[in-house]
Amino acid sequence: MASFYWERHPDGPFATLIAVATTYLDPENYDLDSLKRLAEREDVEEMRVFKLELREALRDPSQLPADELSESVEYTDGSDEAFLSRLWHDLYGDEPLDAT
Amino acid sequence: MSSRSGLEKSELDVPGPNTIRELPRAQGSGDQAQPLLPEESRSRGEAYAELRQRVEGGWEPRRFEAPRAELGRFDPERAGLAQVSLDAAADYVAQNRDARPWLTMADAASPEARRIIAGADVGGGHGHIRHEGWVTEDANMRRVAHLEDPAQLDVVKRNLGIDGLRENDQHHRCRSTATRITDPDAFATAFARGVEHPKVREVLDMPFDPTIRPKVVTVPIADLLGIHGHRYCSGWQLEPADGSMNTARTNRDAWLVARAEGRKPHSLEPKARPVPTFEGGVIAFLFERNHAENRYGIATMFPRPAERQAAGDQSRIRS
Repeated sequence: MASFYWERHPDGPFATLIAVATTYLDPENYDLDSLKRLAEREDVEEMRVFKLELREALRDPSQLPADELSESVEYTDGSDEAFLSRLWHDLYGDEPLDAT
Repeated sequence: MSSRSGLEKSELDVPGPNTIRELPRAQGSGDQAQPLLPEESRSRGEAYAELRQRVEGGWEPRRFEAPRAELGRFDPERAGLAQVSLDAAADYVAQNRDARPWLTMADAASPEARRIIAGADVGGGHGHIRHEGWVTEDANMRRVAHLEDPAQLDVVKRNLGIDGLRENDQHHRCRSTATRITDPDAFATAFARGVEHPKVREVLDMPFDPTIRPKVVTVPIADLLGIHGHRYCSGWQLEPADGSMNTARTNRDAWLVARAEGRKPHSLEPKARPVPTFEGGVIAFLFERNHAENRYGIATMFPRPAERQAAGDQSRIRS
């Protein structure tokens, strides 16, 4: 499909994770630094959902909708799991994945 | 979109490289930039890529019937751009065409489209720089395969994959497709109609938050350019590796790093092929934050094919 996953499935699983990652890390408009700054804001509800979904996806990447993350973000990490692991480290450093 | 009064002041906020008007061919694979015939102005690489695009992509150069009255009514301020008169736009293109060679595409545009393109150039967006007719088929093919940025006017830097618009010599990034709207009137029409489309309007009218960037929005090509609008789009896509686009992108990076370091790459040289069709496709609008004016603007826009179907493959590309 030409449209993006979150446009087709705004309430679909991991829609916030895929949308936010694509918005800041799309190769056409890449800006990791801005995403890092946004990740520090605890008052943004969307980023709270993003972090929850990122954590959930890392625990079980097979739950991600097939190919959607890769086709939207077009990362070069090789796999969803590798990309998500890097993203977690970039945004949240050494914060344990299992923290609540 | 940070210089709304730039035309009056003849000032630009974006870099203005001092270079030639036609893209020189980068070193590396492929042929040298030699004209085919005395009357042939294209290089061999450009002729080759355009022929492949015609045969495999079904694309033909054609003029878009510009809705000149509609374009004339377009208010640039709706997109956070400078108010530009037809005469000021013509002067701007004439004065800046050497340093900003993508403006040469405005030569073939209607005066009303030229006004929009000039406004976008002053505003700082890059859609008209990377996704319009100034970018040749050859340049788009090399962008996908070797991450050579058409906006990089320094040949050596372009060959090294250095971005032409970002500061501090950052590496250029590119999706697995590089696409363009091939006619300047079609580009300006898509931009003007996109700005007024409810989905785009909703973003541009959002309350501004300096930390938040709006999500990407897509609008069907047919909504902006009519049912035959896809005919004014062309593009190249990375060839999958082992049936996977994900692997192809990873291999592309590894191959380019190895080449830059003078090592023998472990993977095959990345290749690109024409997008078979844009029928059913969309125009993607990406947004930027205009901190000076506390509003959002359009960072870029580009065509996106409906299905990432690789010609000759039995199934859809798996990532």
